[in-house]
Amino acid sequence: MKKLPNSRLQSGMSPDASYTEGAPSAGPRANGPDRGRRSLLVAGSAALAPSALGLHAPAVIGQAKRFSGVTLNVSCWSANYPSLLADYVREFTEQTGAKVNYDTPGLQVYNQRADLELSTKGAGFDVLNITFIFTSRWIGNGWFTPLDPLINDRNKTAAEFDFADFLPGALSPLKDAKGATYGIPWVTDSGMAIAARYDLLQANGLGMPDTFDELETVAGVLHKKDGVDGFLTDNHWGFWYIPLLQGYGGNVFRAPPDDLMPTLDTPEAIHAADQLTRIVSKYGPPGAGGMAYGQTVEILKAARANLSVVTHAAGMSVAEKSNKAAATIRFALMPRGPKGRFPGIASHGWGIPVGSKNKDAAWAFIQWAMSKELLLRMVREKGMGSVTRSSIYGAPEYRKLINVNGVDTGQIVLQTIKLGEQGHMKYRTVPVYPQVNVQLNQAIGRIISGQMSAKESMVQAQASVIADLRRAGVKI
Amino acid sequence: MAAALAYPASWTARRDRDLVRGLAPALVVLAGLTVVPGIYLVLTSLTPLNLASPGSEWDFSRPLGNYVGMFEDPRFVHSVGVQIKLSVASVVLQLLIGLGVALLLHPNTTVRQLARPWMLVPMVLPPIVVGITWLALFTVDISPIHRFLAWIGLPMAPLLTNASTAIWAIVLAGTWQHFPFAMLMALAALQMVPENPIEAARIDGASRWQVFWHVRLPFIAPTLVVAGLFILIDSVKAFPLIFIMTDGGPGEATEVTNFYVYRQAFSFSLWGYGSAIAVLMMLGVFVLSWVIDRITTRNDGQWS
Repeated sequence: MKKLPNSRLQSGMSPDASYTEGAPSAGPRANGPDRGRRSLLVAGSAALAPSALGLHAPAVIGQAKRFSGVTLNVSCWSANYPSLLADYVREFTEQTGAKVNYDTPGLQVYNQRADLELSTKGAGFDVLNITFIFTSRWIGNGWFTPLDPLINDRNKTAAEFDFADFLPGALSPLKDAKGATYGIPWVTDSGMAIAARYDLLQANGLGMPDTFDELETVAGVLHKKDGVDGFLTDNHWGFWYIPLLQGYGGNVFRAPPDDLMPTLDTPEAIHAADQLTRIVSKYGPPGAGGMAYGQTVEILKAARANLSVVTHAAGMSVAEKSNKAAATIRFALMPRGPKGRFPGIASHGWGIPVGSKNKDAAWAFIQWAMSKELLLRMVREKGMGSVTRSSIYGAPEYRKLINVNGVDTGQIVLQTIKLGEQGHMKYRTVPVYPQVNVQLNQAIGRIISGQMSAKESMVQAQASVIADLRRAGVKI
Repeated sequence: MAAALAYPASWTARRDRDLVRGLAPALVVLAGLTVVPGIYLVLTSLTPLNLASPGSEWDFSRPLGNYVGMFEDPRFVHSVGVQIKLSVASVVLQLLIGLGVALLLHPNTTVRQLARPWMLVPMVLPPIVVGITWLALFTVDISPIHRFLAWIGLPMAPLLTNASTAIWAIVLAGTWQHFPFAMLMALAALQMVPENPIEAARIDGASRWQVFWHVRLPFIAPTLVVAGLFILIDSVKAFPLIFIMTDGGPGEATEVTNFYVYRQAFSFSLWGYGSAIAVLMMLGVFVLSWVIDRITTRNDGQWS
């Protein structure tokens, strides 16, 4: 039996409160003038700390209620998995004694809140999602705790956690340049194509489109057939425009992540923007250009629009049995351009902010939230359709779940993740991509709303991105 | 006699001293809440503070860099243009509608007394609720307005995704929410108008319009000017409706200056640049506040 270092056990009273695991929150504040009160708190902390931490190492993992008195603040954006997880959080409290304040705001709100909190290295959150678009910025600036020391510590990580079970493609965005791990992925969402009314394609002798030109043609043929619009996707153009851009041989930057000169006014970029906006404007429902994720998913669920490019998780929510589209939905790989197939991939994972004062409890939460047992239960009980563990991909329950109308969507996900090895997602994890993302959203919005031609808008986007990057201190 | 003369001076000094003492706690709290953050804002605006660039926090090597860059930034200039459009339209519409409704509700009848509190409902709703409500009303698929217009053969294109109509859709939603303020101000002013000149005008044969234009309006005009300036200040703070309904789009069609500050600070973490724009906005609001103060002071003088 290995003992924890003494300093760790008494960290609740240490002036350096960066690792006050298990100590009551009053500990770091016990520096006031009331020495009697402080002494009492110190004594109380000293009495509680061993039991809270677990004095003997192996018991740390096995000890019931070992985090009694700890309050964990956990936040993630409102994707499917974190939303479903909310129903299980109570079990973690029952097992460990740690109270959990669990929050799942919308993506944009979450990103801004987390970015601000992380940049100040505050202690407001103990577990946060590492959003894909911010991976380089948050990890590169040292705002998250390296997890390898925790993963490799047998006293803190149960063997059943089986870290090697996570898909390498899902893990890689959550590592730094030296290979240190900062996050445990809960999703590797993959862009793909769906047809909410595949029966209409069949009735017209059409198959799932494999190229963007075919997508445009099929959307045109199907538009308004049976009252269904031909195409619809959400207005996150900074994500959906890129597969076309790269498919036609362009890219966002000249050579990310080293050369960040934007390349948004190239003929390829203009052609891709022109085609995407044409498809959305001509074959989408009225106002399609401004529809956010929630609106588009509801329309697809009701099968009022047919073709779409969505993430796997979104597609699976459209395929839920209660939806009109369930019986007719069909999945396929993201269409390709003449230069290849470049589907969007986004890995999100749990991480521990460097300012957290409850790192051990935070790590216990992550292990619990990403355990094989819980994930498999979520697959069985909630129909969760997007996972990052290879063992779950192989589980019969999961295979049954992700087989939608005769198509193994899990295989599409794995193929998409494999395509990620081309390295085409490097553009997205550069620290300044949030700026470019907004500029692309606006550039495509300008074209769809008829304010500018594709050429004018992309030229303006190029100039604006250069100005934004210079303002952010990027040398280009 | 001398003592009697000295007493008022001493009393005035004591009064002033007590006033300062009495106000001191409030002034300290006010300074803590507004002046200190204000100073921090100004200091930040003189740095290139970027949360993703450690060391940029207290870099005063180019103190006016953000201010110079602002006027070379076409998106900032564009946002000021959008802001002016939004502000002018908001002031005009809210004043006109507020005054119109106030004139309707002014006479004391039972129905009008019952109607008054209902007219205040939009103003007390949280902006988020107003934003979601109007987003639904402007979404073609689910909007009863769009469905009705389509039913009578006058289908309307989506307003929020059209660059030329999106800002007017925001103005409309904002006017619906905020017109009760102008209405309340106008209603209060109308009730202060003395009856004698109105009766005299009627005896002289003035029509209703003439009574309003030549008697009532001159009485309530100063109040309307103050209300307009308050609406103007409020319009500079426009944010929730834009955030929910258009996210500044399509393109940058509804990106007002306030929203642009939010983008720079919260989306891009460029707090130095965002602070510089905020300082400029703050100065603008100070000028407007000063104008309001001058007008109200002058009016107080007139009425007294």
